[in-house]
Amino acid sequence: MRRALRWFWLTLAVVLLVGLLAASAAAPEFLSVPRPDRAFLGPLAAPPFGNDNRGIPLLEIALQGADIVAIPSLISGLVVMGLATAAGLVRCSGATWLDGAIQGASELVGALPRLVVILVVALLLPRDWRVLLPIGITWAILAAPGAMDEAAATAGRLGGERFVEALRAHGFSSARIYLYHIVGLNLRPVIVRQGAEVTMQVVFLEIALSYLSLRRNEPSLTHPDSSYSWATLLYQGYTGLLGYEMLHALWLGLALVAWIALLAQSIRLAARAR
Amino acid sequence: MAWWTRPLIRLLVALAIPLAIPALITAILWTLPGDPAEIICPREICDGTDALAERWNLHRGPVWFYVHWLTSALGGDFDSSWRVQQGVPVAELLWESLPTTATLVLLALGVLLLGAVLAALGWLPRALDPLWQAVGLAPAVILALYCAARIEISHGALSHSGWPATLRLLMGAGVLGLADGALAAAITGTRATFEAEARLRYVQMARLRGESVLVNTLPNVLPALVGQLRARVLHILSGTVVVEVVMGIPGLGEMLFDGTLSQDFGLVLAAAWAFSLMSAALLLLQALVEVSVALWVRRSPAGISGVLQGEPGPAVPGPGEAV
Repeated sequence: MRRALRWFWLTLAVVLLVGLLAASAAAPEFLSVPRPDRAFLGPLAAPPFGNDNRGIPLLEIALQGADIVAIPSLISGLVVMGLATAAGLVRCSGATWLDGAIQGASELVGALPRLVVILVVALLLPRDWRVLLPIGITWAILAAPGAMDEAAATAGRLGGERFVEALRAHGFSSARIYLYHIVGLNLRPVIVRQGAEVTMQVVFLEIALSYLSLRRNEPSLTHPDSSYSWATLLYQGYTGLLGYEMLHALWLGLALVAWIALLAQSIRLAARAR
Repeated sequence: MAWWTRPLIRLLVALAIPLAIPALITAILWTLPGDPAEIICPREICDGTDALAERWNLHRGPVWFYVHWLTSALGGDFDSSWRVQQGVPVAELLWESLPTTATLVLLALGVLLLGAVLAALGWLPRALDPLWQAVGLAPAVILALYCAARIEISHGALSHSGWPATLRLLMGAGVLGLADGALAAAITGTRATFEAEARLRYVQMARLRGESVLVNTLPNVLPALVGQLRARVLHILSGTVVVEVVMGIPGLGEMLFDGTLSQDFGLVLAAAWAFSLMSAALLLLQALVEVSVALWVRRSPAGISGVLQGEPGPAVPGPGEAV
């Protein structure tokens, strides 16, 4: 039963991830020409998702939004996974000075409110560099202390250096011990979960920052003015809550948020410890 | 590791953070390609970059800039805002917005503390955990957006003063407490900490003697709980930016975001420094609790002193196991 469930979550994770990447690849470079006569149309009148307040299909905005977040969020997730793996391996390698240095650095980085640092980075980045990738990687580095701490604690619970010695006594090679026994069998649930969470957080961060910029009617900190984020759907959907006929944009925006949350959850559940 | 090592590291980090934040910003400013004055205020939106560089001490290198800014900041002088509220002293803007943010953070913390206390006392059924986790999946921006819409629908244009403004604050605190898994983490984290401690032998012996589990475990789990609490406050501080902007709450987070959008470097630097001071204060608090608990445990508190004298050793944790 557990095996079947694991396969279910794994399949779902792959389907959702491929869907995100496919949407990113299919994103148009520029949106269609606005058609005011087709503005505010719902999904039935303008399939599949309806149009926005200028008559542009919401599908195009959804695809552009996927293009903005897909690669930067995945790279950010991979950065965290890499750092967490390194912390776990250092705990097992017995390099106490490096372990101590990592803990000290983690304490310093972990003590900073993340969004504050993100905003400072966004301020300092030259305007041409204002895309999601540097912001996402900064977020990943700020999220890394927690992930590294958990990975190191997991490795510590295994027995750390003694665990490696015990496996060496069985005749296993170093590569097999570190990559298969420690990372593959023991750290995997932790690092995959942390990577999935950071991927999700970076997508949500993009939505939040773009939404805040939209509210202030200023250029976004995460993408060029020529492209549109999923926050646009939520922003237009918000006017639906206030009485305009744009609720279909809100539902689409929420569905995309749920998609990313489900992707992170399914990856986490697929990688659970046996 | 000696018991005082961690508090000492925290103390050093707490002292380092207010120095490190402006140092980091200075380093980034001079590492990026181009003239720092033009990075702060690009030529397409700024004229008089040279005068700006001189006014901001950017023309004499990173060390001069850093030392001058830090010295002024320690004296409470952050110069004036360039764009957000031109000419108004940044210190004045900080003092105006700080109480609102502090209230928001404290109210949000109240939600988390309530959840944590109920979890510690075992009054929150474990069956409800999936509910908190499901609610926690929602990002802060979505919940804030919903709350802002509810307030604007029910109170309209007058929703920024009086009771609607208070309602914004209360709902903002609720959003910060619930969104991004904050409440779920507070409940499950607290419960897991107590459960792990309750499995130790000294607690089982205390239970056999008829003593309260909570009284026995609390001193030993307190440093861990304070550590969790610090992480939650940092999480809330980070979330205030989103909640304040979306819900129109005039606080430090909103000011920081407006400063970022309008390239008001002085304002952003000062606001970031204010956040770093709060973070340092939290670290100091954690270090203080750790030292107090360590000293208290070593003085053999009244609840277990009889055991120390009358029972064989393994039932009571030694000094090294205290935390």
